[in-house]
Amino acid sequence: MFNLKLSMFSGTRELEEKIDEMHDQVIESVLAFQNAFDIYLKEKRSLKYRQASKKMKQIEAKGDELRREIESKLYIHNLIPDLRADVLQMVENIDKVINEFDEVAHKFYIEQPDIPEKYQGKFRKLVKEVSDCAENMAIASRAFFRDFTTVRDYSRKVYFLEQESDKTWAELKQSVFDSDMELAHKIQLNALIGDVADIADRAEDCIDALLIFTIKRDI
Amino acid sequence: MDLSYLFYLSSGLFLGWSLGANDAANIFGTAVGSKMVRFSTIAAVACIFVVIGAVFGGSGTSETLGALGSVNALAGAFMVALSAALAVYMMLRTGLTVSTSQAIVGAIVGWNLYAGKPTDYTTLAEIVGTWTTCPLLSGIVAIILYLCLKKLRKCSSMHLLTRDQVTRVGLIVTAAVGAYALGANNIANVVGVFMKSCPFKPLHFGNFATLNPHQVLFLLGAIAICVGIWTYSRKVIKTVGNSLMRMSPSVALIIVLAQATVLLLFSSVSLHDWLAASSLPTIPLVPVSSTQAVIGAVIGIGLIKGGRGINWGIIGKIVTGWVVAPLMAMLICFICLFFLENVFNQTVFM
Repeated sequence: MFNLKLSMFSGTRELEEKIDEMHDQVIESVLAFQNAFDIYLKEKRSLKYRQASKKMKQIEAKGDELRREIESKLYIHNLIPDLRADVLQMVENIDKVINEFDEVAHKFYIEQPDIPEKYQGKFRKLVKEVSDCAENMAIASRAFFRDFTTVRDYSRKVYFLEQESDKTWAELKQSVFDSDMELAHKIQLNALIGDVADIADRAEDCIDALLIFTIKRDI
Repeated sequence: MDLSYLFYLSSGLFLGWSLGANDAANIFGTAVGSKMVRFSTIAAVACIFVVIGAVFGGSGTSETLGALGSVNALAGAFMVALSAALAVYMMLRTGLTVSTSQAIVGAIVGWNLYAGKPTDYTTLAEIVGTWTTCPLLSGIVAIILYLCLKKLRKCSSMHLLTRDQVTRVGLIVTAAVGAYALGANNIANVVGVFMKSCPFKPLHFGNFATLNPHQVLFLLGAIAICVGIWTYSRKVIKTVGNSLMRMSPSVALIIVLAQATVLLLFSSVSLHDWLAASSLPTIPLVPVSSTQAVIGAVIGIGLIKGGRGINWGIIGKIVTGWVVAPLMAMLICFICLFFLENVFNQTVFM
């Protein structure tokens, strides 16, 4: 009986570690994405960018692996159905954010868009806001497992940063279409700006679900 | 032993079955309703502890019930228990949780009226008084526990998954305590009226333990409660589990704990003696309603959370059941005693 209880708690601890690792992957993909974007602006599709993009792919693969492990462990350890469903959805949402970072980085690698000097500042600002948004989402999501008050604090930050990124996205889009670039170039840049901004939207979606889970679990 | 005794006792066992079906929902309904624990696991734990509570702690409250009305004929006792059981069963059919304690009190008063015996109004007042104090006390205990747990949550940084596992273990432990308290406090409702005519001999379990005749009677009653738990408590759990108020696992734990505490307070002979010895006001040893305790706790927590989440419609129906159940039991008892005496020629009182 005692051994049974011990193994029950050790299984839970293992699962907790996996969930923590999943959050680590978000932070890592944020940092790797910022790094890759800096490299792209300086060197475009260089060998260094190729390595950075490969790194993002590895993080994405690790995220997928962790998601699958967490899913199976959630069922093996027979967590409460209600909590199990919430944790599953959370992990899937987090994984989608990691995937988006990888997809955007890969798009830069494939499409090799030319980003004129005058748009680079705004583009950097957008990437910074989107990255901060995802980072704060990861902190809020991690806090869900330990401290509900922190969830609310960081959720506010995510909402604020998402709004800021929307503004930057709109400004950037407008200035691209106001320019005298080729239409095809404008459309390409517009699509990429939209893809970057979508990461913040995805983080916001995670927070929306997270806040509902928090209300459900608060005593 | 006369076999007719077992026939008469069957109504008590039926009441025990009703109690198991109805009151088990109060002990672990919230745990099962919030999907924290599997029904079969917690039902098995509850059965074991109901038996222990009934056999080893059931004597205190039985005396109080005996003081209310001394049902002195076996056929009378049969009808008292049957009326209470029928009243509970009819209420159960509506899917509402009712109080077995109130039904048996109603039936005993019905017997007193029929037999022309005086009802001990002091004891009746004491018992009826607990119908208010029990949910009130349970509500207060639940609020205190809720505030303590909230404070504890702020100080602790335990991981949510670990916390849920701890809550799950806590629910099983408190369900065990609740089941013990239910056995100790409510066994008087089930077989209390048969104690005067108890024909059993002491039961020896080798050199390990010996049960006196009353304990053997309590054991039979407890087994009937266990059958009720296994066969019919799921339906009632659906009502208590989550329809009164949507509750988190931690709230479920608080509710069971508050209910168990209150039941133990009303059935602990040691606490009663200690308070009396310390010249403090004593808590009467009365079979109280676990239904009332659990509803009191649910309302207590609902109120402290702002009162928005409570389903007042269902609570209104349950409270109506509390008034209807004893009256119904009294009426059924009175009418059936008439038939039992005049149609079946049984002696229903001495």
